[in-house]
Amino acid sequence: MSSGLLIPPFMFFMLGGIIAGFLKGSLRNALLIAIPVLSLINLAMIPHGVYLEYEFLGHQLALFRVDKLSLVFGYAFHIVSIAVLVYGMHVKSNKEFIIGLIYAGGGLGAVFAYDLITLYVFWEIMTVASTFIIWRKDSMEAVGAGFRYFIFHLVGGLALLIGIILYITATGNVAFEHMGWTNLATGLIMIGFGVNAAWPFVHTWLVDSYPKASFLGTVMLSVFTTKTAIYTLARGFAGEETLIVIGAVMTAFPIFYAVLENDLRKVLSYSLINQLGFMVVGIGVGSQMAINAAVGQAFVHIMFKSLLFMGMGAVLHQTGKIKATELGGLYKYMPFTTVFTIVGSMTISAFPLFSAFVTKSMILSSVATEGFMVVWLVLLFASAGVLDHSGIKIPFFAFFGHDSGLKPKEAPLNMLIGMGFLAFLNIFLGIFPGYLFQILPYEVTYNAYTADHTIFQLQLLLFSILAFTLLLRSGLYPAEIRSINLDFDFFYRKGYKVFVWLVDNILIRFMDFGKALFFSYIPKTLKMLTRNPVGLLLLIVPDTRFKGLREKMAKSEDGYVDGLVEYWSIGLSAFVICFFLLFYLLFFLVNKLI
Amino acid sequence: MAANHKDKDFTELKHDAVPGYKPVFGVVLAAAVLYLAYIFLSH
Repeated sequence: MSSGLLIPPFMFFMLGGIIAGFLKGSLRNALLIAIPVLSLINLAMIPHGVYLEYEFLGHQLALFRVDKLSLVFGYAFHIVSIAVLVYGMHVKSNKEFIIGLIYAGGGLGAVFAYDLITLYVFWEIMTVASTFIIWRKDSMEAVGAGFRYFIFHLVGGLALLIGIILYITATGNVAFEHMGWTNLATGLIMIGFGVNAAWPFVHTWLVDSYPKASFLGTVMLSVFTTKTAIYTLARGFAGEETLIVIGAVMTAFPIFYAVLENDLRKVLSYSLINQLGFMVVGIGVGSQMAINAAVGQAFVHIMFKSLLFMGMGAVLHQTGKIKATELGGLYKYMPFTTVFTIVGSMTISAFPLFSAFVTKSMILSSVATEGFMVVWLVLLFASAGVLDHSGIKIPFFAFFGHDSGLKPKEAPLNMLIGMGFLAFLNIFLGIFPGYLFQILPYEVTYNAYTADHTIFQLQLLLFSILAFTLLLRSGLYPAEIRSINLDFDFFYRKGYKVFVWLVDNILIRFMDFGKALFFSYIPKTLKMLTRNPVGLLLLIVPDTRFKGLREKMAKSEDGYVDGLVEYWSIGLSAFVICFFLLFYLLFFLVNKLI
Repeated sequence: MAANHKDKDFTELKHDAVPGYKPVFGVVLAAAVLYLAYIFLSH
């Protein structure tokens, strides 16, 4: 290890966020841009290594580890932060920026953390900050969603903490390195990461909370929590085959919900889980190409998913509406937003010349190369589904479809610049993937632009478009309905009601009984029995014993033998204490010997 | 596509069928199923 006077990125973001809270107007906006730009320049100049060591409870920890894996996520977080901060620059209130920069700092702190303890601290900073981002919407829906989000992440964080404690206790190793799922400790750590990666059955926090944040908050949220989880899985659990199954399920099931969903930001939230599934599959496969593919997909996903959320955020910002039933025909009034959203849609659909074409082809190739053919077919189905709900549904229902009668103005210039920047990057990395390959963890020899890859992908996309068109024109495409689709959170809600019933009807009664037993019946009985311990003793032993005492008792007027009550009480207490000490000593010795 | 906007609150956006497309959909679906069956059986 080596250390020097280096500034980790989280310090730029967290301190910058706090300072930005005291500034206004152009000065604040200049600082907002300067924070990620300066931090990115600083990061690019730092050589690989472990820095800023410190000691905690006898363990050697370090705040800052720079290597190829952490750098991919670090670069992506910086680049998208520039775009997001420009996008939201017209927002006058500083609160969202302060919380957002602390949240981003938490994400950066986690991906550059050297050890598990530092990772956990930043992990929880992210949880708290992201909850406040949801609450910033200032609506009852957002408050409720924020609490549910917080509960999920507290449970996940608790699993992670217990896992970390068990892992460190068992191995004595605090460094966050590849661990695999080998025992309870690593299993709990993996589950902790899995909650943030929106694994099936715990995914509901994502689709519940993200669409309820503000237009800017949702964009911020879509970047850090899930991608930090992908980073941790890639570092700690690469090659863990359970992840292939989990990832495959993640790619497939959200498609059905996304097709039915009316809220377009919720459609994107389901689509986010679908895309995370591709990454989880790649991590599970674990070959060098698969890890490159998963990490590369995470990098470009940060760009195109943010772009899509920005597009829908701009629509929400300008119209106050986000449901498919209320939107349509906006391309005439918001042409630039339309174009940028279509770029995001084409990227997520993996059209050739867009960035995700390269990374998704790498994931599919790595899955096929390792012989997981069923998973490969699931991913193909998921790829066609992505085109339907994110590639077509989002731009079609927001900007085309029917005439909603809305006539909004185009989004503010800063929002367009933020979206345009990401749209440019999505196309640039699609045409010149070599720049992306340079930063991936392993050397890349893959070429996505071969004739068979390109034709195969175009076939998939064009037939998916044909299917969508024919379903729509035949009247078979499901109607967009303002309703709540039942997801797995149905069981959480019902489970909560059962829990409340159990507490009200059984637990409370049991507690009342316990209270009466321990605070009333037992003390009263003990008091009665200890009032005259000598008398009690004489009552329970045969008449032939303690004759002297019996004579004294018979002579006394009140049934008490003078002085003996005090002696017996003290003696009995001393005896009980000695007994317990002896028992403890025996227990200690036996434990030592074993 | 014809939108159903009779309801003021836009609670439902139906996609009404355009005459002539259902048979086309049926033909394309049948062709796709046969093509897939051919691929799976020939490998």
